[in-house]
Amino acid sequence: MNNLKIPTELIAPAFNPATFGVRGAAHQIFTRLRRDYPLSIAEVPGYDPHWIVTKYNDIREIARQDEIFHGGDRSKTLISRAGESLVKQYTGGQSNIFRSLVQLDPPEHRAYRDVLAAKFMPKQIAALTDGVRVTTRQFVDRMAGLAPRCDFATDIAFRYPLKVVLDLIGVPPADHEMMLQLTHWLFTYADPDLKRPGSDPTNPAEITETWNIVFNEFKRYYEPIITDRRACPREDIASLIANGKVFGCPMEERAMISYYVIASTAGHDTTSATSATGMWVLAEQPELLARLKTEPSLIPKFVDETIRWASPVQQFVRSACVDYELRGRQIKKGDLLYLSYMSGNRDEEIFEDPFTFKPDRTPNQHIGFGYGGHSCLGQHLAKLEMRLLWEELLPRLESVEMAGEGRMAQSEFVCGPKSVPILFKMH
Amino acid sequence: MPAAVYRKWECRTCGEIYDEAAGRPDAGIPPGTRFADLPDNWICPACGTAKSEFALCDE
Repeated sequence: MNNLKIPTELIAPAFNPATFGVRGAAHQIFTRLRRDYPLSIAEVPGYDPHWIVTKYNDIREIARQDEIFHGGDRSKTLISRAGESLVKQYTGGQSNIFRSLVQLDPPEHRAYRDVLAAKFMPKQIAALTDGVRVTTRQFVDRMAGLAPRCDFATDIAFRYPLKVVLDLIGVPPADHEMMLQLTHWLFTYADPDLKRPGSDPTNPAEITETWNIVFNEFKRYYEPIITDRRACPREDIASLIANGKVFGCPMEERAMISYYVIASTAGHDTTSATSATGMWVLAEQPELLARLKTEPSLIPKFVDETIRWASPVQQFVRSACVDYELRGRQIKKGDLLYLSYMSGNRDEEIFEDPFTFKPDRTPNQHIGFGYGGHSCLGQHLAKLEMRLLWEELLPRLESVEMAGEGRMAQSEFVCGPKSVPILFKMH
Repeated sequence: MPAAVYRKWECRTCGEIYDEAAGRPDAGIPPGTRFADLPDNWICPACGTAKSEFALCDE
């Protein structure tokens, strides 16, 4: 296999958040990469070299081997050399501002995950159905009240999963908007509409500063909650984290705060992005809405297809702990590997007609929730939220069409629609 | 002769259940295959987690 190095002009846009703000632009790049550079090296100025892993099976092979491909030795997300250097200054030598489940490696990862894992198993999530459905109906009623127009992204999708997960964590409703804002500062730090006001996302120092500000804002917010829940534990996730033990000891502080951060951000943002994507698809395909209304049993498969289609988490980066051969390439110890989940979910060798949205796609073993031991802890909650949303909304939705141009957020990390203006009828 | 007692094992990552009574015929694992008899490199069919990360179900 040739094509060891990807031409800079081809891969550099994939390192630029603005590219992801143009619907389909990143897919054009990665479709070409899957064909011509399925596993090749990107040397983008300002960044260390990365293997760009574009193929579904390669991503799964790496992602399931946490002992070999670490997430915490280097930045778990794409970052410039200057940015990573600044992170080390902020953290005293670590490569990540956050030490959440995403960045932790074995054996720490499993020990931390077990603090919440039982709460998020299928049976436990299923038990939440009636309570979540109450919240779902509130938002469906809210949408009905906005008829005939709303921005489904900002009015509904941003706020519904936010409320579900923050209620479970134990965050009072008055603070939900602030949590949404911090989530946007973190995941869409470069988007002109969602970023931290006044920040310059082209400056690595300011990107790192934003992440550090987000960490400290969450720390300031959750510290009194930790104190409260240790004194008086409640039936909420905040109490489980505050009192959680890792190897028999309290959690390390940065890891504990990061646990709250990931629950309060990743716990809703990706579901929001996927839900907004689903509505965007429905607004463009009236025959799809009609089919789902007559075949509501398709909703679970429709949800899975929206996850594959949206793939909100664009990438995670791993570093190799040993030399490793993959697809005939010699990966060296210390090499960085950029796993493109959105690319894997459009892999032509795995998914038939990958660029066709099929509400009944079977099988559909997408990697939208990742793969291996780091698979999304909240995947069953996310799927429940989305199933209930469409179960409650679709019977009342008589018609929907786009009422303007939908817009994607500019983010090379977690990306989804930031605006889905629709014109609709519902009862 | 007492009937065989089959057990269920749960993936600690995603909650996928391996039921010894049912096996995974679609993957060439016949009904009645004990979890212990699955190869060491067997992985969760849903999420790819290693066999060693499965736990015996309480029920």
